[in-house]
Amino acid sequence: MKIRRTPGTFLIVLFASCVLCGLSGRANGQTSPATSTSTAAAPALTAPLNVKDAAPPSADDLSKGDPGGTLTGTVNDVPVSDSKKGLTLGDAVNQIGQNKVAINFVWTLVTGFLVMFMQAGFALVETGLCRAKNANHTMMMNFMVYGFGLFAYWVCGFAFQMGGVGATSNLGGTAPLSGEFVRHWFGKDWGLIGTHGFFLTQAGTYDVGVMVLFLFQMVFMDTAATIVTGAAAERWKFAAFAMSSVFLAALTYPIYANWAWGGGWLSQLGANFGLGHGYCDFAGSGVVHAVGGITALAVSMIIGPRIGKYNRNGSSNAMPGHDIVIVLTGCFILAFGWFGFNPGSTLGASGNGALRIGSIAVNTMLAGCTGSFGALFYMWVRYGKPDASMSGNGLLAGLVAITAPSGFVNTIGAAIIGLVAGVLVCLSVEYFDRKARVDDPVGAISVHGTNGLWGVISVGLFADGKSNYGGSWNGVNGSVTGLFYGDPSQLVAQLIGVATLVGFVFSLGYVLNLFVDYFVGQRISAESELEGLDIPEMGALGYPEFVLKTYRQEAGAHA
Amino acid sequence: MKFLGLLVVVVGWLVAVGSVLITSSLTARFIICLIGISLCLVGILKILNGAYLTDAIWKQ
Repeated sequence: MKIRRTPGTFLIVLFASCVLCGLSGRANGQTSPATSTSTAAAPALTAPLNVKDAAPPSADDLSKGDPGGTLTGTVNDVPVSDSKKGLTLGDAVNQIGQNKVAINFVWTLVTGFLVMFMQAGFALVETGLCRAKNANHTMMMNFMVYGFGLFAYWVCGFAFQMGGVGATSNLGGTAPLSGEFVRHWFGKDWGLIGTHGFFLTQAGTYDVGVMVLFLFQMVFMDTAATIVTGAAAERWKFAAFAMSSVFLAALTYPIYANWAWGGGWLSQLGANFGLGHGYCDFAGSGVVHAVGGITALAVSMIIGPRIGKYNRNGSSNAMPGHDIVIVLTGCFILAFGWFGFNPGSTLGASGNGALRIGSIAVNTMLAGCTGSFGALFYMWVRYGKPDASMSGNGLLAGLVAITAPSGFVNTIGAAIIGLVAGVLVCLSVEYFDRKARVDDPVGAISVHGTNGLWGVISVGLFADGKSNYGGSWNGVNGSVTGLFYGDPSQLVAQLIGVATLVGFVFSLGYVLNLFVDYFVGQRISAESELEGLDIPEMGALGYPEFVLKTYRQEAGAHA
Repeated sequence: MKFLGLLVVVVGWLVAVGSVLITSSLTARFIICLIGISLCLVGILKILNGAYLTDAIWKQ
């Protein structure tokens, strides 16, 4: 039986939906008594609806095409659960719910795809900042970290991180992710690690919402993993890189991410100890960038500096990269991908305050802009020239720093956070290069480590208390508010997160990489390093038709 | 020295986390957290990195 569906009746359906929502809200004590008298007229969810006035287009109309877009998407497109009964209120309400989740699925997936493309940006930035004789090796590390990281994360990393996150309402629930290993210490529950989701099949995790969450979280993890390759470039044994990346994807990153995002103890500092809303890291200045940057510091210390980087008196030599063009192209790709990184972290565009995505995107671009300003002006004033590679690093530093606070701050806060980051990255590069003498060819420790920590702290300073993602964050009602807007306790929660990054994450990363060093050795031989890693490690040059100055040729020229 | 550096780093972390257990005063927690973070940084950048610098490749 064909049902005619009219706009008037469909409005009645929507009105009835609202009435039902009101009923449900009243059951939770959220609706005022004055509105309760109108609920008696609500039709049963299973009763057929009279939709004849919807006037859907006829087959003849549709056969002529719909250039104006007014005939496509009508009541005919609402699926019915029982064709004999026709459209019911239940069908309409279910479709509304599925539309919300569909919007959020598409948003989260597309932004995840953008984040995945950031791998290309990292590859270009790092390769351009290295010497041409190591181009193949550096590019291959950035290429294969995607595969190594993804595999390890699928096997166990995701389960450790998100296995106990519980319901993610924007993605339709993700109910199977309900296994968190919790210890009861000092009168409080301490979530330590997730236990559901190994191989994305264990414990019922073969689930559409879980798959979306996995894809989005996986590309974040891979961003952290690829940061390390920059700091250890031009001297890292490929086998050691592979092992180290697997450890980061399977253990270091998931454990900290569980504590921050998976319902672990850091996120519960607010609910358990009254520290603001617990540790808040909207899109991962700490979880992603500081974890990558601090692990990079551990690896760089173990490997040691490149040959020729430091003189016998400890003074450092500049070892410029071979292609500033691809460096800045890579920076632009990363800035583009960051529009997935931060706005995508709402895990949706519909419901629970997700419309804040516009604000998050603007904060992101502003902080990147002021970050490049900060670095550019610092270098210009200090060294007399607007340095291109440091301007690029300033852009990235601003983006890294705004990642944690992007969902909680206004545009003034974002601009200040970015500007500070731009100057901070220059100071940090100088410190690690000249004082600490930790060789970092691309500045990854400063861009991601130092500014990741700054981003975490800045949440505790600049969060303006205006965000409202469903009315609560980390189980604490109200909006995240920082010191400058009246809540100093949030800053303490952020500092405990910083301490965990520099204390726990560094220690774990260091021990795991000592393990790698013991079994396969982290550093390639001095001869291979001087020759360039492309032939000894990868078997092919990155630029076979270029004439590269190898140490043998240089030695011959001097002879 | 490397082991000592790592130990100081871990102790610094535990001090910072312990701030929520040993006092409910926000100021005290803030100060203890800063002490913990400072310990971590000293452990990493001074003790541990210093141990690596004593036999750095450029000194050989």
